[in-house]
Amino acid sequence: MAPPTTSTDYVARHLSFGWWSLFVFLLLGLTLETMHGFKIGFYLDVSNSARRLMWTLAHAHGALLSLIHIIAALVLRTFPQIATAQRMVISRTLIGASVLLPGGFFLGGVSFYSGDPGVGITLVPVGAACLTVAVFQLARTSTDSTSTQRSGH
Amino acid sequence: MTQPRRRVSFSVLTLLAGVIALGVAVAMSLDTVPSEQEVEHRPIAVDSDGYVSSQTCQACHPAQYETWHSSYHRTMTQVATPDSVRADFDNVVVDAVAGTPMRLERRGDEFWAEFDDPGWEGPASERPRIIRQVVMITGSHYQNIYWYTTGHERALNVLPAVFLLEDQRWAPRSAVVLSPPHQGVATLDGHWNAICIACHTTHGKPQFETPFRSEPIASQAVATTVSEFGIACESCHGPADAHVQANQSPWRRYTLHLSGEPDPTIVEPTTLDPARSSQVCGNCHSVWEFYDVADERAANTDGLPYRPGDALIDTRFVAQPTANGTTPEMRALINADPDFVRGSFWSDGLVRVSGREYNGLIDSPCFQNATTAERTLSCFSCHTMHKTAEDPRSVDTWAATHQVSVGMDSNRACTQCHAEIAADLSTHTNHATDSTGSRCYNCHMPYTSYGLMRAIRSHTITSPSLQESVEVGRPNACNLCHLDRTLAWSGEYLREWYDLLIPPLDKDQRTVAASILWLLKGDAGQRAVTAWSYGWRPAQTASGTSWMVPYLGELLGDPYDTVRYIANRALQTVPGYEGLNYDFVGNRGDRLATAVDVITTWRNGTQSRARRDPQLLFNADGTLDTATMRKLFDERDRRLLFLRE
Repeated sequence: MAPPTTSTDYVARHLSFGWWSLFVFLLLGLTLETMHGFKIGFYLDVSNSARRLMWTLAHAHGALLSLIHIIAALVLRTFPQIATAQRMVISRTLIGASVLLPGGFFLGGVSFYSGDPGVGITLVPVGAACLTVAVFQLARTSTDSTSTQRSGH
Repeated sequence: MTQPRRRVSFSVLTLLAGVIALGVAVAMSLDTVPSEQEVEHRPIAVDSDGYVSSQTCQACHPAQYETWHSSYHRTMTQVATPDSVRADFDNVVVDAVAGTPMRLERRGDEFWAEFDDPGWEGPASERPRIIRQVVMITGSHYQNIYWYTTGHERALNVLPAVFLLEDQRWAPRSAVVLSPPHQGVATLDGHWNAICIACHTTHGKPQFETPFRSEPIASQAVATTVSEFGIACESCHGPADAHVQANQSPWRRYTLHLSGEPDPTIVEPTTLDPARSSQVCGNCHSVWEFYDVADERAANTDGLPYRPGDALIDTRFVAQPTANGTTPEMRALINADPDFVRGSFWSDGLVRVSGREYNGLIDSPCFQNATTAERTLSCFSCHTMHKTAEDPRSVDTWAATHQVSVGMDSNRACTQCHAEIAADLSTHTNHATDSTGSRCYNCHMPYTSYGLMRAIRSHTITSPSLQESVEVGRPNACNLCHLDRTLAWSGEYLREWYDLLIPPLDKDQRTVAASILWLLKGDAGQRAVTAWSYGWRPAQTASGTSWMVPYLGELLGDPYDTVRYIANRALQTVPGYEGLNYDFVGNRGDRLATAVDVITTWRNGTQSRARRDPQLLFNADGTLDTATMRKLFDERDRRLLFLRE
C-alpha cells in the first residue's frame, strides 16, 4: 500500500484506522465485560488489581484514541490546505500514540509486580508524548487554518 | 471582539463556582466521624516512629493487603463499632457474671454496659454499679473480649463477661481461661494499655508516666497510642516509612523488580534465616519476660524495642526451661512467681499452652538438629501470612485454618524433608496409608497443648513415648487416639514397631485405659486436653464412643469451668447426646443433676452394654467398676492450676 500523500489519502487513512481501531477496542471491552460477568479471577482478583487497572486503561485509551482518529480525519478533510509535512507529523504521531498508549497499558497488565505494572508500561509515556505532539499540531493547524479561511473571506 | 471573551470568562467562573458549591455540599453531607486525635478516652491509632500503617502499604501491595485483611491477625484488636461488635447489646441482661447481672445497651452506634464496680475495695454487699462505654474488642475468631473506657485518660479495663462466638453466649471472664475454681481473673484499670497492647496491636506504646502498678492508675498519665489496632503489616515487616519514601522513585522500584534483589529498606521475614524469621512470630508467640525493671519501664513508655530482623533474646528473656531453666533470669522469675513455669510448661519443659508456638518450635529436633537452612523448620515451613494465588482455598478458609500454607495441612509438611518416609509410609507408621494413623501430625504434633477452651496441636515435634506420659503426665499420641487402650498396650506396639523400651508401669497403667487415668487422676490441664480428644472424630473412630458417656458425664461436675465446657462439647458429639441441655457455668445443683441424669440415662440404655472391656472399668457383668473409679478420683492431682495461654 502506497504511503499517503494527498489530504484525501490522510483522511482515508485515519477514518479507516479510527473505525478499525474502535472495533478492536470494542472487542477488548466486550472481553473485559465478559470477564466481569463470569468473575474471572485472572482479571478480577485483588491480587490481579494491577492487571485490571492496566487493561481498563488500555481499553479506555484505545477507544478514545480511535475517536480522535476519526475527528482528526474530519479536521484534515475540513482543512485540506494543511502543509504536507504537518499532515505527516500529525498522522504518524497519532498512530504512534494509538499503538503505544493502549499497547503499553495492555502489556503492563500482562505481567506485573504486585502494585507496579510490567515493564511494558514504559511505552505509555512515549505514546503520551506522541499524542501531545499530535494534538498540539491539530490545534495549531486548526487555528491557523481557521484564521486563513476568515481572512480569505 | 471582546464580548465573546467576557462571555467565556463568565462561563468559566460560573463553572468554577458550581464545582466549589458541589464540593462543599458533598463535604457537609459526610458523617462527622471524629479523627483519632480527637478521641480522648481510649488508645488511639497514630503514625509514629517510622510506622505508616497498612493503608499506606495497600496501594503497592494489594494482594498482600487483601489476604492480611481477611486474617484474624487484623481483627485481633478492633475499635468497638456496629460492624465489629458481634454480641447483642440491645437492652440485654447478662447473668453469666459474678454478682448482679450485667446490663448492655446500645446508644446509637455506641455500646454501653452497667455492671458491678470491679475496683471496689469495700464490703461486697455495698459494691456500687458503674456504667461504662465499651470502646475496644480483643479477638474475633473464638471470643470477643470487650474493653471499656475507665474514664481516666486512655486507660481501659475489661467487662466481667466474654462473648463466645461459636456458642453465641456470654460466659464469665474467669470461666473462659483454665484457672482455679472460684478464683477471679483480676484485671486492673490500664491492664490492656500495659499488657495486651504488646501483642495485640502494631507498635503499641503504653505511654505510662510511671511503671504500671507502681502507683494508682488514677494518679498517672496514660497517653496510650498504637500505630494500628491488630497485627498489621509493620508488625512483621518493621516500620515502613523509609521503604515508602525510597520507593516513590519508579527507577528504584523497577531496578529492584528486574534485578530480583531484596529491598534493604524493609524486612521480608521469609528471606531471613529460619531462626530469625521464626523470631518475628516468636515476638508474640512465645513465653517471655523482661530482663529487668528498666526494660519493663522503657516498654511501659515507648513499647517493646524488638523490630523484625532483630535477635529476639537481645530484647527480652525467652523462657525455655529445657535450655535456660537454671539461669539467674529464670530463677528470679520463679522466685517472684512460683507457678511461672508450671503455668506454661509441662514438667519436662515443653510448652503446654496455646499462643506460644515459638517455644515449641525451638525445642523441636527439626529446628535444633537441622544441618542447613533449607532443612531447618521455621514457622514459615508450614504457615504463610499471605495466601498465594495458587492456593485453591478461599481466603476465609485459609484464615480459619491457622494460615497453613497450601498442602501443608497434609503429610507434605513433613515429607518435604522426610521423603524416604513418604516413599513407604505404612512401613513407618504401621497404620494403613490412608488412615489418620498415617498422618504425621497426629503422632508427632498431638493435641497436647491447651488454649481458647480447646486442645491444640503441640508445636514441639516429638515422637510418641510412654516416658512422656509416665514421667511427665503429658498424654501420648497413641493413647490420645486409642482412648480405650492402656499405656501398656501402646508400650507393646512402640516396642515392637520402634524398639522403644517400656518404662516401669504401675498396676493402673497396665490395666486401665490411659485416657481414663488422665480424666480421673490428671490435673485440670490433662483433663481438658483428654476430654477434648473424646470429641475428636479420629479418636472416636478408633476407640468407639459408647463407653465414654460416664466419664464425660463425670466431668460435667468438674470444679474447673473450662473442663466442664470441653466435656460438654465432647459429649454433644456422642450419638444420643447432641441436644444435651447443660450450662457449664449454670447453677451447680443443675450441673450435677444433669451429670447424674446423663450417667443414669446411659446406664439404662443400650450404649452401656456395647463394651465390657476391663480396661474401661467395666465389671464382667457389664456394670461400672465404681470402686476403682472412686480410687482413681481420690488420687487426682488437685494442685491448683492456671494455664497462661
